[in-house]
Amino acid sequence: MISLNHVSKTYETPAGKFAALKDIDLEIRPGEFVGVVGKSGSGKSTLLNMVAGIDRPSSGSVAVAGTEIHALSENKLAAWRGRNVGFVFQFFQLLPTLTAAENVMLPMDFSKTIPLRERRKRAVELLDLVAVKSHADKLPATLSGGEQQRVAIARALANEPPLVLADEPTGNLDSVTATEILDLFRNMANRGITVVIATHEADIARVIDRKIEISDGKIHPQITQMT
Amino acid sequence: MTTIWKKAIRDFWQERARTTLVVLAIALGISAFAAVLSSYAILTRELDRGYLETNPASAVLRVDSIDNDLVKAILQNPEVSDAEPRRTIGGQIKAGPVQWRNLILFVVEDYGNIRVSKLVPESGAWPPATGEILIERDAFQVAKANVGDAVTVKTANGVETPLVISGSVHDVGQAQARMENIVYGYINLATLVQLGEEPRFDQLNILVAQNRFDEDHIRRVASDVEKLIEGRGHDVRRVEIPRPGKHPHSDLTGILLLAMSSFGLFVLVLSGILVINLLTAMMASQVRQIGVMKAIGGTRRQVARIYFSQALFLGIAAVIVSIPLGILGSRALCQYMAMFLNFDINSFAVPIWVYLLVALIGVIAPLLAAAYPVWRGTSTPVRVALADFGLSQTNFGAGAFDRALTRIGGTFSLIAFAIRNSFRRRARLVLTLLTLAAGGLFFLSALNVRASMVNTLDRMFAARKSDLSVSFAKPYEFEKIQKAVSNTAGVKRAEGWFTAEGSLGERRFGVVALPADTQLLDFDIIEGRKLTPQDTDAIVINNALAGREPTMHVGETVALRIGAEEKAWRVVGIAREAFAPSPVGYIPLTGMVNSLRLALDNADPDSIGELKTELDRNLEAEGIRARGSSTKSENRFGFDQHMVMIYVFLIVMSAIVGGVGGLGLMTTMSLNVLERRREMGVMRALGATPRIVWLMIVSEGVVIGVLSWAIAALLAWPVSKIIGDSFVRVLFHSGLDFTFEPLGLVIWMLVSIGLSAVASFLPAWKASRATVREALAYE
Repeated sequence: MISLNHVSKTYETPAGKFAALKDIDLEIRPGEFVGVVGKSGSGKSTLLNMVAGIDRPSSGSVAVAGTEIHALSENKLAAWRGRNVGFVFQFFQLLPTLTAAENVMLPMDFSKTIPLRERRKRAVELLDLVAVKSHADKLPATLSGGEQQRVAIARALANEPPLVLADEPTGNLDSVTATEILDLFRNMANRGITVVIATHEADIARVIDRKIEISDGKIHPQITQMT
Repeated sequence: MTTIWKKAIRDFWQERARTTLVVLAIALGISAFAAVLSSYAILTRELDRGYLETNPASAVLRVDSIDNDLVKAILQNPEVSDAEPRRTIGGQIKAGPVQWRNLILFVVEDYGNIRVSKLVPESGAWPPATGEILIERDAFQVAKANVGDAVTVKTANGVETPLVISGSVHDVGQAQARMENIVYGYINLATLVQLGEEPRFDQLNILVAQNRFDEDHIRRVASDVEKLIEGRGHDVRRVEIPRPGKHPHSDLTGILLLAMSSFGLFVLVLSGILVINLLTAMMASQVRQIGVMKAIGGTRRQVARIYFSQALFLGIAAVIVSIPLGILGSRALCQYMAMFLNFDINSFAVPIWVYLLVALIGVIAPLLAAAYPVWRGTSTPVRVALADFGLSQTNFGAGAFDRALTRIGGTFSLIAFAIRNSFRRRARLVLTLLTLAAGGLFFLSALNVRASMVNTLDRMFAARKSDLSVSFAKPYEFEKIQKAVSNTAGVKRAEGWFTAEGSLGERRFGVVALPADTQLLDFDIIEGRKLTPQDTDAIVINNALAGREPTMHVGETVALRIGAEEKAWRVVGIAREAFAPSPVGYIPLTGMVNSLRLALDNADPDSIGELKTELDRNLEAEGIRARGSSTKSENRFGFDQHMVMIYVFLIVMSAIVGGVGGLGLMTTMSLNVLERRREMGVMRALGATPRIVWLMIVSEGVVIGVLSWAIAALLAWPVSKIIGDSFVRVLFHSGLDFTFEPLGLVIWMLVSIGLSAVASFLPAWKASRATVREALAYE
């Protein structure tokens, strides 16, 4: 599903060059639930961005779901992402002037893969899946952090993507809610979706299939843990 | 409706306070443009329609006398569909104890059967009976009389005759009586006899049968008629061919209105600046959302469409507001102009193309203005966009200018802080300054142009040293006139002049013969010299004549026909006359005079009135008949009216542009405050009181106001000179003596400070009232 080959990323900052990723090789099989674990600044977010096509490698190649995405243009990447990748952010990132259901429908309106008449119905179903159906017509400002993240997860599933990426999805939640959210990702993985979560949380071990440790831009050899 | 549209609509609604400001600004521009454009459409249509309804003459011939046989003979020509005789005669009219006013009498053969250059009865009697006179409706103010009043009328040859004003008439296509300061009166043939004149017609209005709008054709037919008349032993003095099918004023009106509508477009462009500011700020505040949308599958085009839609809403809202405003404005403008031009508007219907054009421009303008901010705002790469935290992330401090600013004010100084803060968003500041400075420039130009026009008119009229001029129907010996004058009290100096018409080949010009050592006219010689008592065949021409006749330059001798005589004249000088479009040449006086110029001790209207009455008596005692008179102040009146028109227009424009500028500043301050919300929360947390925060923001607004004043002040001289010159050139075909009005700078400084303080008040107040916790809260 995901294949990174000799991927490196160096940033130019006013304070000098910074190497975020150093010669990464990585393979993730379809249906795997992978946790990318590392401290702040370790490069885990950058790695996730590479897979999502949100960032481009300075060198190396990235292939996701059969596509060499490092070669695509910005607009093609966006369109590809809409159909193939569901993204969940640490700070939920729901659009404040759209209701929960509308937020879930937005990716459908961008990609146009789901027929127009079915979009609302599907959105409500997804909200039901993540247990916030009753909040479908509420604005994000009226929802709690946990509820917002659930909506965000429903949004990530909007276009039936084969891959879901999450960058510190529990970073802004209390521990009880965090557990519930992680369980949602597990359910997703159980249904065959490839899930990759970047986190510094140790608790992740409970739900994932494989742990990848990253620090200073390099992946450390690790023992695969199967649950 | 997809969520993409929903987001556009909801975002637009959320920003409604700021968008209202921008919509108002755009609406100002569109309304001004729409009002003037529809006035243009209405007026040019109605002017020509009203004119055509009177069946205006294709040509007017002045003949020594016209009788029915002559008219019948002319009508034999199949090219001539109609010919009507009339008489035009000059005279004077007096209503009650008020002084004599100049009068032009029109004598119509049959009021019941006017077919050419029709008159429209307004009220009262129709036709006027013998002993009665109808007055043109615009001339009542000049005559200072009403329908039913008894008046006294005299012509050059005739006796003073009492008549009664029995009705009012509308003579379309006649120059406005008020502007000309002449009374137009309409009588029948019998009344003419009563006045002591011969019952004779001297004007022929003819109508061509075909090609009514072909000026060349009309010229040919008129020439045929002229030959026929002369062939029968009559003398044709003049042939006038007015522009076929067009009201005499419709061209000038059209040009003026089109020029004015371009100012409306200018205001619209200024409001586009506000759109740029608003959209730029909006894009800045939406950076993270844009990143999210791109992350979940939105292409740049799809995302840009959301924000372009909002610019579209701006335009649509502005157009909706502007259309009724524009209609109101155009109605007011049309009514004012119709009154000014003395004609009636039958229909205020605005043609569809005006609505369509206004709607199109109103909708497209904000879209164009939004193009750059939206395109740039949607170009941020996803990764960068997602990392944006909304803090004001400009790099203040990097450039040399910024570092220079830090040297202003040592320890904490509110002013220094305000100055530095206003430069943080440089592009936004520049755009705001542009709109405010534009308002200032219009205002200063209004004042400067007015001062310049007053100055130019003063200088021009100072050159004319005669307070009163009296014209006679025929030439007299000056000694006779001199006797009457010496018996009249209050005359400082009297000169006799002779006015005639001259021609160079086919082209005519005015000729004034005056004493070579005249003290009643100062020549503004720009080339050569003025007349001297030794001159016999010298002529001094004015700039209008010099401009028209390239052969007449200083030193040349040309063959001119003056009166009946053709002679060689030497051009010795060229004199500049401001605002004088008619070409005139000045020659030394030899012989009789037909005009009297007087400089008086007292030039106020009452003294002049008394003096004229006394002078009239004394002239009559010498057997001299005055035909008409005019005072310097009456001549000046027309110019002053035009000047007032220009001045009012510029002031109105400056109010509108200033309004847009004020709205722009309000938007800018509101955006500045919004973006620095967190920063101000930090300041509050560090000990700044709400009052200090408020003062900081208002100071920033005032700094911007003062900066805009400085720009306007710097540019005021050249810009107002250009504006003044353009107006005067279009209206008067002449130049302007430029004067700067320093009071304007003071007034605009006060207005700028006031306007900017008011514009920043509300944003400042809101910012000072936000709690620290709200300001520092995340998101």
